[in-house]
Amino acid sequence: MLWIFYGSALLFLVLSGYKAYVFTKMPLHGRMELYPVPKEKGKSEYGGSYFEEVEWWHKPRELSGFSELKDMLKEMLFIKKLFQNQRSLWWVSYALHLGIYLLAAWTALLIVGAISGLAGMPISASGRLLPGAWPAFLYYLTALCGNLGFACATFGAAALLWRRAFDPVLRKYTTPQEYFNLLLLLAALVSGLIVWFPDLFYQEARTVMADFLSLTPPQATGTLTLHVILVGFMFIYIPLSKMSHYVGKYFTFHKVLWENDPNLPGSEIEKKVQAALGYKPGHTWSAPHVQTVRPQNQDR
Amino acid sequence: MHDAKTLKPSDLGRQEEQLIVVDNLMPLLPPYDQPGMERPFGEVKGAWREKYCTSLDGFVGIDTLQRPKTKEEEKEFVQKFLNGLEKILSDANNGMLQPLLLSLEYCAKCNTCSEACHVFQASGGNELYRPIFRSEALRKMIKKYFTPSGRLLGRFVGADIEVNWESIARLGELAYRCNLCRRCAQTCPLGLDNSIFAKEIRKIFSQELGIAPSPLHAKGSMIQLKTGSSTGITKPAFLDMLEFMEEDIEEKTGKKIKFPLDKEGADILLIHNAGEFMAWPENPAAFAILFEEAGLNWTLSTELMGYDSVNYGIWYDDTQAKKIALQQFQTAKHLGVRRIVIGECGHAHKAAAVTADRMAVGEDKIPVESFLPLLWDLVRTGRLKFDPQKNNFPVTLHDPCNVVRQMGIVQPQRHILKQICPQFREMTPHGVDNYCCGGGSGFAIMNSLNFGQFRDKVSGRMKFNQILGAFQDTIEDPSIPKYVCAPCSNCKGTIRELLEFYHTTEKFNVHYGGLVELMVNALPDLEKPYLEFLQA
Repeated sequence: MLWIFYGSALLFLVLSGYKAYVFTKMPLHGRMELYPVPKEKGKSEYGGSYFEEVEWWHKPRELSGFSELKDMLKEMLFIKKLFQNQRSLWWVSYALHLGIYLLAAWTALLIVGAISGLAGMPISASGRLLPGAWPAFLYYLTALCGNLGFACATFGAAALLWRRAFDPVLRKYTTPQEYFNLLLLLAALVSGLIVWFPDLFYQEARTVMADFLSLTPPQATGTLTLHVILVGFMFIYIPLSKMSHYVGKYFTFHKVLWENDPNLPGSEIEKKVQAALGYKPGHTWSAPHVQTVRPQNQDR
Repeated sequence: MHDAKTLKPSDLGRQEEQLIVVDNLMPLLPPYDQPGMERPFGEVKGAWREKYCTSLDGFVGIDTLQRPKTKEEEKEFVQKFLNGLEKILSDANNGMLQPLLLSLEYCAKCNTCSEACHVFQASGGNELYRPIFRSEALRKMIKKYFTPSGRLLGRFVGADIEVNWESIARLGELAYRCNLCRRCAQTCPLGLDNSIFAKEIRKIFSQELGIAPSPLHAKGSMIQLKTGSSTGITKPAFLDMLEFMEEDIEEKTGKKIKFPLDKEGADILLIHNAGEFMAWPENPAAFAILFEEAGLNWTLSTELMGYDSVNYGIWYDDTQAKKIALQQFQTAKHLGVRRIVIGECGHAHKAAAVTADRMAVGEDKIPVESFLPLLWDLVRTGRLKFDPQKNNFPVTLHDPCNVVRQMGIVQPQRHILKQICPQFREMTPHGVDNYCCGGGSGFAIMNSLNFGQFRDKVSGRMKFNQILGAFQDTIEDPSIPKYVCAPCSNCKGTIRELLEFYHTTEKFNVHYGGLVELMVNALPDLEKPYLEFLQA
């Protein structure tokens, strides 16, 4: 069980990191901005850009990291585009995502609680004033995140599965693997509910976490073993599947749609363009008009 | 015929004469909501079915895609397509690899994009035109041949499509049912872009199989690379046209204007879509009037590649796009101008300012800007003065996708119109949320066989409704002229076709044109209106 716990967590991080690394190392692509681009200071509200300026290349670029961060957080925390463009799906998708965020927080709180317990400050509801308030705070916050997280994520996963199965349009485009993805999430969540549900304040979960952290094999029941295996498999599988969109979404927005980086003399991007122009591809196109002799400097 | 409701991407290879029929179009606004206001689709001729791929929806976009005569030809076609498919995933496609792979991998198929697509909406929600239909069909082919999961797990991961002549040809046609307007990408919660798939399919057909619609390729970019202009205008013909235009300007406005030609070291090299000289000479003439009035140091080029800003390559073939863009830069460099200003042509804006931005460095790259901020600067600083009462009729503005959604040039044109047109009104939606005119990515000039019907009745339908919507208060009063300002040559061409197809000019006095014509019309010292429809 210890191996599954640490191995799956490590593989999740390594595989996700590797995926991000692969996208980072991809060759420079052509520009594909799509407005509004939030970092365009003073213009992003209506979708404007530096191209609205006369002789824009002589003007200092006015960029707002805050504006980009604000839009990024709205997208990450609230799935803004789905909210704006398909509200009915947003309710269920957001329930799943909010549930996942809350369960991530719950896991972190379990770790903090377990460490606290190991350090001789066990977590319970009996805290009064400081320093006793800390255990009580952790106790209730963990319960809040866990209960809300399980409720939202389980509802979201089940509702998404139901919608995919019964919406005539989504059903046509959903592959068996995509049903499997949702079923896997649901199975991991339901097994968690079965294991933890009797204890709405997660004392048992904290004990198991403390066992994991102190490298002690926990007292494993059949359902706990199944739950750990399902969660462990899910953690390894997610980075290998399209559910790793937490990686891809960074690149689609920041490196494609919001990139907005003109090739100006002396700029970093100019160096990258120079390097890309000198690259000779191993594969070449075969149509006769591509094969004809071209003027210099036309092959990337 | 397949029922569009049950149609799915894996049906693309089914042996049927025609997959779907377009028969439930989005209703039009008054007065076009009455019976008899719109011509029905024409019949698909038997000879077309034998020769071309009409088996998708009955329309032919790729007039050079012809049915194979032998089994060997069919086999070769399939193999070449698969070769091309492999190449878009390789370093032959470095310039698009990252965006393509992101969109290939992460689509959640949430279907949010369908609501944003004007073609899907205009078709009454026909399944074939759902943005993810095309993407998913290509994704299935790629999975089937080029992913380990597809080879091992097949149908489980969605690699369940037949790859044969019919499915490939239909996919090729389907790539020309998308205007590449990228409105769908604006709404995607994952930031993915369905237009990439349409463009990549077009690229495989052109760059690997040598197949592309003749208006874009054989009669488009190939002629441009040979003569300097996709219109085929040669230098002597171009000079004749300019001479004629100078006489016309004097006759219309009393102004003696000489087009500055090949002026070395000029501040501005102005490049128009050469189609303007042939179809709408009043547009480049209006530019000359405004530039001279403002005292700009500008020039036109008469050199090969210097007098036509178009670059059809950006719609279907990266190699053609690059050849054209670099030669346009070279012309500007030889003239020693400080900057290139692109006239009223949306795709030329994107090609020169955005796409070509990463095709050259250093001295080979001349700064490019749009005519819009330049003109607004002339208005804002008082170098051009106007009498807005001369334009006192309803005017609306079409936002070219390439200029607005893809370059973020939103306000200058609005600032100008608000100063010179007292009855200016916006379309709904507008700005970066605009709808494509329906002629984007080549549809404006693709008139082979029956493709024009698809443009006029389907892809242009949303824009036509927007025009009707903007003029609802006056549309049924033919005594009031109405003007659709479309500062883009292709958009203007599409709107011309729409107004002709629906007899909107004839019945309801709706006209179209560019921005500069409206500006010249409002110049205080002109005795006669510059706009022809006001001259009667």
